[in-house]
Amino acid sequence: MSTEALPGALGTSKDLPLLRRTATVAGNDGQIVIRHMRDEIRLEGTAAHLFKKLSPDLEGATAIETMATKLSERPERVRALLEQLEKAGVLAFRSVTDDRVLMSGMDFYQLHHQYCDAWLEDVYRHPFWEKVVTGRATRAQVIGFAFEKYHYIEAAFEHMGTAAANATPEMMPHLARHFIEEYTHGDIYRKGLRSLFPDDVILKSQPLPSTRALVNYLNETAQRNSFAYYSGNELLQMTENTGDEKAGGAVNEFYEAMRKHYPYTDRLIDSFVAHTRADQALEHENAFLLMCKSVPPLTRGEVNDALNVAKNMAEHLMLFMDGIDTFYEKFPTVPRLPCDLLSE
Amino acid sequence: MTSTQARYRPKRVYEILSAAEGSRQIRLSDRIVELGEREYRRYEKVACWLSTTRGVADLSRELEMDEAKVPKLIDALEQSGLLYRLDDAPKTMSGLEFHARFSSVLNSWLLEAFNHPFWERMMSGKGSARLFTGWLIELYHYTKNANRHMPLSCAHAHEKPIKQLRAKHYAEEWNHFHYFMKSLKHLGFTEPQIAASVPLPMTLALSNFMRQAARQDILAYSICSAVLEGTTTDRKTYNPYYDKSAELYGIPKEAVSPIYQHLDLDVQYQHSDLFREILEHVPEMSAERVTTVLNYGHQLVEHIWLWTENIEKYYDVESNPVPRLPFDIDRD
Repeated sequence: MSTEALPGALGTSKDLPLLRRTATVAGNDGQIVIRHMRDEIRLEGTAAHLFKKLSPDLEGATAIETMATKLSERPERVRALLEQLEKAGVLAFRSVTDDRVLMSGMDFYQLHHQYCDAWLEDVYRHPFWEKVVTGRATRAQVIGFAFEKYHYIEAAFEHMGTAAANATPEMMPHLARHFIEEYTHGDIYRKGLRSLFPDDVILKSQPLPSTRALVNYLNETAQRNSFAYYSGNELLQMTENTGDEKAGGAVNEFYEAMRKHYPYTDRLIDSFVAHTRADQALEHENAFLLMCKSVPPLTRGEVNDALNVAKNMAEHLMLFMDGIDTFYEKFPTVPRLPCDLLSE
Repeated sequence: MTSTQARYRPKRVYEILSAAEGSRQIRLSDRIVELGEREYRRYEKVACWLSTTRGVADLSRELEMDEAKVPKLIDALEQSGLLYRLDDAPKTMSGLEFHARFSSVLNSWLLEAFNHPFWERMMSGKGSARLFTGWLIELYHYTKNANRHMPLSCAHAHEKPIKQLRAKHYAEEWNHFHYFMKSLKHLGFTEPQIAASVPLPMTLALSNFMRQAARQDILAYSICSAVLEGTTTDRKTYNPYYDKSAELYGIPKEAVSPIYQHLDLDVQYQHSDLFREILEHVPEMSAERVTTVLNYGHQLVEHIWLWTENIEKYYDVESNPVPRLPFDIDRD
């Protein structure tokens, strides 16, 4: 099923217009610019004037007919403008039900990537990257980063195992394969850390609460809904270097700067690179595409659930970055040893 | 790893204060150790070296000290309380002995949890009504989310008396989120608005961490619960924050009084004694279990610190929506 199906099949009557919550509206000299993610539309003259009058009611609660009567406008004219805004991606028509089929897995795949690209922008702009590249990050932050990556990757045992064990029939083969291919990857990072710390210290080290938060969010979702879980995990996969020339170049630049400013991390970086190569060889970037091909069409409720998980995952990923940046600056002990009766 | 590295660990340092002429005051849970500038640098190097793969020769070079003198330095650091020998820890202990040990470090843990600059900022008038409101919204979610972990801890407790105590605690706490809803209504929010909102990731992380503890070990869960209850043992600990915030940021009295009602109820139920009551039913704990339980307790402390950080960071930004709504394919 495609998103181009009839409005009725999409679970919407196309009667309750709703300006997207994250859309921004800017105007001057009779011109209005509306932006939402990467979409943008410019309205001029009478269209801009009509939009101004309509905008207080674009909250998904007022029917087009009612708006038109209130403004003494022709309903067709109001509808034409609103449909133009819908086409531009800045407005939607509100649905009353959650349980009707909304889109195919493949349509979801495309939509998911559009949203995730936007949600990941803050992660890519996180000040921690700049601190490392310019050599302003502390030793605790740099080594802490390696430890937290290790804890996150090692946690594949937890969330991927849980996801495979709770998978729907369509998702099970994909999640099983993913677990089997990933569960040894923590050891790649551990090998790098062993150049600086004894194995026992690495194995017993404690993740930051923010890393634990990311892993626990994956764990909890993996128990509840395997498709929503992978929608979130896919956002994390999208941050991995897939071999794309531009992204790969940026990652290499980061590693080179790290080697230059923090020479003791040489073997840690070797382990980062080894992990990237291992992931590239497994072609994990196609995993979610294959899942989306396999799942039955999704209802509005399922789409919202899966996208909510992806959005929350982006926030948890920011938290993961904030944790490394803030926590290791404030509490520079690394590695983080476990408590025992005398340590406290 | 050398035998020294296998034998010694640094004690947890809760605070380092600069003193005269470059010396430092290092606060441990049971004492303050004062070190001169050179001694402090040496201590830092030893503490860092203990968990590495580097040999003694490497350390002595870094300390600019003859290798033969290194054991004497380590011995002195142990005598001062900054290092301890792993072998000195008892192999087993009773539940009540564990409780006594926990009680002796709880204050240091709570100081660590609440030493985030947010509190000083709020008390000094550099905060805002928006930050106060954000904190309350997250407290609402945190309290409501007790329903995600308290019953789970009952489900995973295997011994009858402990199950009973955990269930009683849940029965007394499950609907306390209503107090925060009441406060928020006095700040101008509607009930559906708050009920439909979503918590910050770190608020959710707190309840997810409690769920993790509940599944692993009932004592791991109970120590986390005890740390949280430890914040509400008497009015003196929380009154100043709420009173001062109300005064500084124009928070109506009606919005603060439900919070006091909630806190008073916690004191009345004597929830801070629950951990001791549970530990009375634990005749023996192995060193491994002690480590697991303490780890959960201290990680909870760190969760509280980062929770505060997350709240301040989000609600400080004027353009961030309050309350936070879930993603909606139509609306977003």
